[in-house]
Amino acid sequence: MANISIKKMLAGTLAAMFMLTASACGNSDSSTASTAANNDTTSAAESTASADDTSSAADESAAATDDSLQKVLDSGKFVLGLDASFKPMGYTDENDEIVGFDIDCAEEVCKRLGVTLEKKGINWDTKEDTLDAGTIDCIWNGMSIDEKREERMNLSEPYMENSMVFVVPGDSTAEKMSDLADKTVAVQNGSTAQTLLEESAIGGSCKISPLATNVEALQQMDLGLVDAVYLDSVVAEYEIAEAGKDWRIFTDGSESEKYAIGFRKGDQALRDKVQETLSEMKADGTLAKISEKWFGKDVTIVK
Amino acid sequence: MTGNEIWGVVKILLKYLLPTLKIFGFTLLYSVPLGMIVALLKMCRFKPIKWLTSLYILIMRGTPLMLQVIVAYFAVPMLKRSTAMPGVLHRLLDAVNIQADSYLFNTVLVAFVLNYAAYFAEIFRGGIESIPKGQYEAAAALGFSKRQTFFRIILPQVIKRVVPASSNEVITLVKDTSLANVVAYAEITMKARQQMQNYSSLTPLFIAGAFYFVLATVLTVIFSFIEKKLDYYK
Repeated sequence: MANISIKKMLAGTLAAMFMLTASACGNSDSSTASTAANNDTTSAAESTASADDTSSAADESAAATDDSLQKVLDSGKFVLGLDASFKPMGYTDENDEIVGFDIDCAEEVCKRLGVTLEKKGINWDTKEDTLDAGTIDCIWNGMSIDEKREERMNLSEPYMENSMVFVVPGDSTAEKMSDLADKTVAVQNGSTAQTLLEESAIGGSCKISPLATNVEALQQMDLGLVDAVYLDSVVAEYEIAEAGKDWRIFTDGSESEKYAIGFRKGDQALRDKVQETLSEMKADGTLAKISEKWFGKDVTIVK
Repeated sequence: MTGNEIWGVVKILLKYLLPTLKIFGFTLLYSVPLGMIVALLKMCRFKPIKWLTSLYILIMRGTPLMLQVIVAYFAVPMLKRSTAMPGVLHRLLDAVNIQADSYLFNTVLVAFVLNYAAYFAEIFRGGIESIPKGQYEAAAALGFSKRQTFFRIILPQVIKRVVPASSNEVITLVKDTSLANVVAYAEITMKARQQMQNYSSLTPLFIAGAFYFVLATVLTVIFSFIEKKLDYYK
């Protein structure tokens, strides 16, 4: 969804920028920024018009010459994209450092590849486009596998299991999913929880409130603005312990899902190498050690 | 949140005050002169220039700044992948390092400057057109050239008249810098949101609000000082 809307926006606004730079170029005083934009946009109309053909053409040519792994090894850095606010997978701590289970795993992978890990903050809503744009090498932030993501990205094998749960206030009467049929349920906007809930049995009848973050969703529930929150069990259990409130979890109707790492469609070599390294880490017990640090037990399902 | 934790968040946000002010400062630096140029172009007697300028202003004011930031950020990488472009352009685009931190800042700046120049242009045009015809006639009678008339007679009066309206834009700009977080530019709002996740609390967002409030207050004081200074031609 996100890619389509961005392409549309691009087509429209590029045309706009074309116009404005055309008007600004009459004046040599205008900032260098707009002169650069002018150069970029000269062929904007034709390139956006054929955006569909070119993206598939790019995929094919990338597959033919896959230098993704070599590129990372040559540059000596592996750029990991995350929104840095998914506790405990990858988040920003009180010292403004990006830490988490995924980060520890990625650090270890990078150590074994002999490259340094660069953690880059991205906007989760446009993660696929950011990956395609090439500003990052992978998305590794507790990302659940779903069909749309499989279509747009080259996903790794699943490395962890997670289920979706409802959280309700302690005094709520809801005990199973059908109890929430006429209620308001908050989800994180752009999350798999949102998609799953929309497609679920109560998707048509309950009111779904998409909020920017799970924290905001839980706060709204605490204030009585929404009746329940639908989110990852990993986060839910962590947040309930953290908040110290008498919130309840019920897993009824929840579907098990799996976390994976997302790579660009053409980057097969890089994806395979990371996958292979993860398997090594599983075999020698390093992965279990990292998992115990964050979850108290080995929750990984890497083969 | 405890006092210590709040202080911790304040310290992090203080560190990101500079990136916020960087957008603010550079946007003003470029958009005010650009706005002046656009205002003059819009008053150009050559109709096509006037129309194009009007269209630019219409688009910049007619679409959300957040969208413009996204477009500016994704334009280069998307054009890079396109095969329908001449090789010269490809080589030119390849020179742009999209992984560099400066790329992120520059794209955000391009969007902000183009957007704010459009708003400033209309304020300036209003200012210029508000000057009575008699001023031009008097200047002509005294033998001033067109250039002299504009810079020595008209502009000082225009500046005085556009300050109150501009202060609105400038204060809005401080708060608009938060829109840069849509492409993950690390500034106060983005950091506040991350700390919000870290502490599972809304408090960091309120702390960020206090930052903007202080900045806006400082700007308000500065502008009332400027208005006092410009208290001439009474």
